[in-house]
Amino acid sequence: MELTRYVTIGQYLPRESPIHRLDPRTKIAAVTMWTVAIFVVRDFSGYALLALVLGGVVVAAQISPGYLLRGLRPIVFLLLFTVVLNIFFSGLQGGTVLFRLGPLLATREAVLRALFIGCRLVGLVVVTSLLTFTTSPMELTDGIERSLRPFRRLGVPAHELAMMMTIALRFIPTLLEETEKIIKAQMARGAQFDQGNVLRRARALVPVLVPLFVSAFRRADELALAMLARCYRGGEHRTRMRELSFAPRDGIALAVATVASVVFALPYEVWGRLLH
Amino acid sequence: MALIECVDLTHVYLRGTPLEAVALRGVTLSIDAGTFVGLLGPTGSGKSTLIQHFNALLRPTSGTVHVAGIDLSQPRADVKTVRRQVGLVFQYPEHQLFEETVFDDVAYGPRNLGLATEEIQDRVQDALRLVGVDPDAFGRRSPFSLSGGEMRRVAIAGVLAMQPQVLVLDEPAAGLDPQGKQEILGQIRTLHRERGLTVILITHSMDEAAQLVDRIVVMNRGQVAMDGPVRGIFRRADELASIGLGVPAITDLMLRLRRRGVAVRPDVLSLEEARAAIWEAVRWN
Repeated sequence: MELTRYVTIGQYLPRESPIHRLDPRTKIAAVTMWTVAIFVVRDFSGYALLALVLGGVVVAAQISPGYLLRGLRPIVFLLLFTVVLNIFFSGLQGGTVLFRLGPLLATREAVLRALFIGCRLVGLVVVTSLLTFTTSPMELTDGIERSLRPFRRLGVPAHELAMMMTIALRFIPTLLEETEKIIKAQMARGAQFDQGNVLRRARALVPVLVPLFVSAFRRADELALAMLARCYRGGEHRTRMRELSFAPRDGIALAVATVASVVFALPYEVWGRLLH
Repeated sequence: MALIECVDLTHVYLRGTPLEAVALRGVTLSIDAGTFVGLLGPTGSGKSTLIQHFNALLRPTSGTVHVAGIDLSQPRADVKTVRRQVGLVFQYPEHQLFEETVFDDVAYGPRNLGLATEEIQDRVQDALRLVGVDPDAFGRRSPFSLSGGEMRRVAIAGVLAMQPQVLVLDEPAAGLDPQGKQEILGQIRTLHRERGLTVILITHSMDEAAQLVDRIVVMNRGQVAMDGPVRGIFRRADELASIGLGVPAITDLMLRLRRRGVAVRPDVLSLEEARAAIWEAVRWN
């Protein structure tokens, strides 16, 4: 019974690594570029390169690959669902038939495309987890707020958005802990969550969900009160203890990230043409 | 064999992750039926982890735990029987209330046991009376409309309605006002004395421990630091202080008197005993 074991999204792993020391804005920019690149990539060679670069980042950030992969566990179902759906219902006409499943037909092209989309999902999760693993929620919010600041004139409430995000991130582990505690308390009263049909299992969750919501609302109330008590009033004229500043290493990192994202995104044929 | 028996019990949280933490290391402990044991120790000493092994919410990473003869280090152990026999009241148990009425909430456990309606009714009324809540006045009310102390008692009743032989409580009086504290602790004492329940009580209050328990187990850094009868433990004030714990206020008074040269008995646990000890010391002078 250790829920925190299975949910690694949003978790920060404090380390003394070059990746951790980067300015959060650099990391946010890199992740944004790579996310776009992941959607633009046309063939597997792009993903191979991405995997290589991400591998380098993981090593530099001193994160164990096993821990990173464990973060994929919550999306295994989504991943399988997407891949299977894409194999049979991709809408691709023709191609080499690999196998049949009743009326369903799997072609080589469809399977490849399904795997491709699977890679895309994994890539997205890994890239974003790397950001949260190496950036403390505090830095992350600061970074987002500063990055959104130019859009404030357009009415984007940068500070408020950033604050909402920090609070949400901050409470993931707390709520998980709370859930675990309530599950245990109800198990101690004879609750069983793994028996019966879907309906019974869903009903068995009521004794967990009700207290969880009650406590989430209570926490929200308390937090709002604590913020008010410390005269919190949003972003105007708010100063901070640690100002963000770009260092030379941020320049290098940004350059590397930009080059890498262009490299991922260029299709194989373009490379062929460029190299010959 | 004792009712609860841990041998070389070790528990590691989040094993194999960067957040791995050893909570218990090599705990050997046995608790006999019918005793009242106080579990003391600074925050993070492993008390809560230990008690969760007593009803199989946690399983040992290594070592063994036997509860009522059932070996809980076996993955296929009969967990259901153990949970029926060992009632666990978590810290702030009122946070687990969820039903629409007090009656239904207390009935949750017995219903999970699959009991007949009349039996459930009896158990709920009995459990509510045990914690000093009138089933007729409160039964139909929403648990969320009660005061903090009442909610706490209803939540404890929810565990008592399972009719366990062992009651494990994690700081049942935390955050209550003095009167609420005394009431809850008095009810726990009654359960122990009149119904013969084995009680294991986690507490941070030395005075509570002195008032209630027969035996004290002190935990520190995941290990059993001291284990023995109450008087014997509180005689070792310096050792307790070295792990950040104290002695009951009245025991402390006696120790101070001794330091000033008054030859009073040091192992005093209550006001009456203190009065007798001082009287004795003064009379000899």
